[in-house]
Amino acid sequence: MNKKVMTLFLAIASLGLVSCNSNDDETGIVIDGIDLTKDVDCCSAEEALQVYKFIQTVKIIPELSTEVDGKYEVWAYTKTGTLHKGYNDLYFVVTKKKTGNYVKYFDIKNITPLMHMVKMDMWHSTPVGSTFEVFDTTRPAVKQGWVSLLMNTSDAGSWQFSYDIEVLGSKGGVQKQAIKVDALPDGQDWLKNFKIGDDTYFLSLVNPSDWKTGKNTIQAYVSKKSNPITTPYALATETFTIEIDPRMPDMGNHTSPDNTPLVKQKDGSYTGNINLTMTGLWRIHLTVRDAEGNIVAGGDDLKDGFSSLYWDVTL
Amino acid sequence: MIALALSILLSTDTLATSSHLIDEVVVVSAATEGRKRSAKGQVASIDEHLAELSHVNLVRRGSYAWEPVVNNMATERVSTTIDGMKIFYACTDKMDPVTSYVESSNLQSILLNSGLNGNPQSTGNIGGSLDLKLRKAGFVTSNLSPLTSHLNVDAGYESNGHLQVYGADVAVSSRRFYTNGGFFFRHADNYKEGGGRKVQFSQFQKVNAFANAGVKLTTRDVLEGTFIFDRATDVGYPALNMDVAKAEAFITSLSYRHSWYEGFLNSWETKAYYNHITHIMDDTKRPDVEIHMDMPGKSWTSGLYSLVSASNGRHDVQANYDLYYNRLFADMTMYPGGAAPMYMVTWPDVGTLNTGLALSDLVSLTDNQSLKVSTKLAFQTQRLNNDEGYHALEVFFPGMKQSYQQVTGRIAANYQFSLFNSQLSIGAGWGSRAPTVTEAYGYYLNNTFDQYDYIGNPRLKNESAIELNGNYKLSLFNSQLSISLDANAFFFSNYIIGQFETRLSPMTVDAEGVKVYYNLDHATIVNTSFTTDWKLFPWLTWNTRLAYAVGRDDQGDQLPLISPFAYTSGLTFAYKRFQGKVEVRGNSKQVNYGKKYGETRTPAWAIGNISGQYMLSIAAHDLTLRAGVENLFDKRYTTYADWCDIPQKGRNVYVNVSLRLTP
Repeated sequence: MNKKVMTLFLAIASLGLVSCNSNDDETGIVIDGIDLTKDVDCCSAEEALQVYKFIQTVKIIPELSTEVDGKYEVWAYTKTGTLHKGYNDLYFVVTKKKTGNYVKYFDIKNITPLMHMVKMDMWHSTPVGSTFEVFDTTRPAVKQGWVSLLMNTSDAGSWQFSYDIEVLGSKGGVQKQAIKVDALPDGQDWLKNFKIGDDTYFLSLVNPSDWKTGKNTIQAYVSKKSNPITTPYALATETFTIEIDPRMPDMGNHTSPDNTPLVKQKDGSYTGNINLTMTGLWRIHLTVRDAEGNIVAGGDDLKDGFSSLYWDVTL
Repeated sequence: MIALALSILLSTDTLATSSHLIDEVVVVSAATEGRKRSAKGQVASIDEHLAELSHVNLVRRGSYAWEPVVNNMATERVSTTIDGMKIFYACTDKMDPVTSYVESSNLQSILLNSGLNGNPQSTGNIGGSLDLKLRKAGFVTSNLSPLTSHLNVDAGYESNGHLQVYGADVAVSSRRFYTNGGFFFRHADNYKEGGGRKVQFSQFQKVNAFANAGVKLTTRDVLEGTFIFDRATDVGYPALNMDVAKAEAFITSLSYRHSWYEGFLNSWETKAYYNHITHIMDDTKRPDVEIHMDMPGKSWTSGLYSLVSASNGRHDVQANYDLYYNRLFADMTMYPGGAAPMYMVTWPDVGTLNTGLALSDLVSLTDNQSLKVSTKLAFQTQRLNNDEGYHALEVFFPGMKQSYQQVTGRIAANYQFSLFNSQLSIGAGWGSRAPTVTEAYGYYLNNTFDQYDYIGNPRLKNESAIELNGNYKLSLFNSQLSISLDANAFFFSNYIIGQFETRLSPMTVDAEGVKVYYNLDHATIVNTSFTTDWKLFPWLTWNTRLAYAVGRDDQGDQLPLISPFAYTSGLTFAYKRFQGKVEVRGNSKQVNYGKKYGETRTPAWAIGNISGQYMLSIAAHDLTLRAGVENLFDKRYTTYADWCDIPQKGRNVYVNVSLRLTP
């Protein structure tokens, strides 16, 4: 018997499901009508459970969800089920239509948000993460990427999204799907740009809504405007350092100690530390330096003595 | 012959039993000879009673809830207990010293142990320990009347601030059971400083209710319960940026006492207690508030102590075990107009579990020599239960822990020797204290005294001090003149004080900067006083008291809030049922002031007070009338202990009546 199936019933009352676990990759599992038995394309029982748990924490974006070849269903998620101005994490999960099993291997490419500017009848793209990667190793069937949207949908313009997907040899995707992008509330401004010569760079602050009072990791991406501007804006190849000076404008420009600049990481993101002494509006004044240490953006002293280049985050 | 003369001299020495380290002010009942009490009688506030104690000064932030300072050391270095119960204030701005949660009518007396020789339940009492003794009716001991009862009614009025005081309480006692209880009410409008200008935001109102009961289970076993409810509302603090909407306390205890009437053991009392305080600040009545803030604070404490007393004529021994758990939480929400509220935890729900063992022995070495030794060892563990507050503080102290342990202790000895008409007493001790919650974990607490925001330091070391004290009393002219010289010195190690931290940015708009509590390597506080008590005639006594203190940090610079040279001189007349007093009080110019710590120099001042009392007894009923004028010449003055130099009351005429009815 080459299939040694050890069946272990885990009673997970809160999720109301019964799953099977196995030492082998060839697994038998039952999750709410999902049958993973003998499916090599799909997750093990444990992996499936992790995916299932993960998708409880996010919400589907119906506009970006689709079907491929009538065999696979593609599900797109964000934290809120909507998109907003600035940085958004996007997650994709693919299931087999027949069994409902989570497919482990698929590729998402060419994600292209385009904005139509009504007045000028002009189209432009926005910063995006170049690839969709496995979100984390315990959840191989969840692919994560990001888009950072320059503007929210308004009378001035609206957004369309496209992407390609390849699932186990079958190709599909979404083409020019209209989708609404919400504005951020007052006191939240997570996307800024600066110019070096004729080049425009975008500073996308990653998920500051996760911050709490105390010490936080601050992460951002620096993207460069493409030519033509309808091509999604990729990460800038240059190396910068982003110095931060968090201030509370409502509190006499109170600041916190021991903040560290954002420096470039292997994955292309920039990370540093930000300390927040309380909740409320924090204006994070920025000084961007190039690899030689020259100030290329921000760092100017306005009449209040702080850089005019800043993100606003309200905790 | 010489021996006989000596024994006569010694037996006439009334000083032999008293210790200069213990001071008491009597709140209720007719004042016995030589005991201290406020000229206003039981209508006086707790603060006015405290002011009668030597070694005590009071820091004023308004006309309510003054902070007792003992030997020029404030709350951090002073233990305050209510009948041995631990209780901790709930306001991050020290608006509510725990003495503000009791009323005069709750108390029998206030006992002060100066320095390290504290009462058994006290911990951290470097400067001294105050124990507020609750007034319990007690059991009937005589066989004449199996049941006694009485009713007290007090009413008082003060012209300055239209202070009104009303109180009533009843007591019923039998041989097996007693109960007493009552209400107290105070209300004051804004007072006027000398010269007649109103001090805005100096009003207050307070209600207090209390009840006690005791039952004798057997002739040797007693069960007693106490209860106090106290609520102050609409309390103004002219020295601060905020007032108080509500400060409320609920204080209760249940104790069991077994007594022995023969043998070495005297009594064994075990008390369990619980108290909680809710403190709500309020800035809505202040004009020009830039940012409205909510700043509530909560304190609750539960504990027990078990005290065994024993004596055999030579030794007077006390052994006490105590355990308490206290939680302190305070937060602050600021509402900038139109923008998101800003929130921070200012006391991160600190849970303190403290347990200690205290022993003391008063040894009568000979007829004229005694030695008192007291010691305590306490262990404390603290945990920051609020994660948000913990992570916020972690910004300033990366890697700080979420719980801390401290061991503190004290040992003190006092030797007393009486010879002829003089008495000499010398003492020495060592003691340590753990940092307070504010000093260790306080978060952006604005201090209007020096205009800095204060951040606690969880890495503080315990502060410790060596105390030396001495006292010499001399009685002359057949005890008609007594002269006393008293001095103590505290040599601190790791003295805790806030120090300017240039790299931090203040939170409070207009603040000068941020201070963080640090240990100074050493500091010194020395207190001296000279007292004379001269019975010029049987009906006239002249008392004078001079006091001087010095406080220095490790650089030799002046510590803040150290009293300048202070003097009091008064003449007391007693004629039949009438008693009167004329008094002058004053301070010299504050020469040594803590400039480095943001203190400003206070000018010299002197005021005159007169007071009188007439007591009338009809059958078993007593009626006491009291009247007086404080600050007779309506001087405008401020003392070194007046926070932000708020002026003291101008001329104040008061009158009060106390009626005690015994059916």
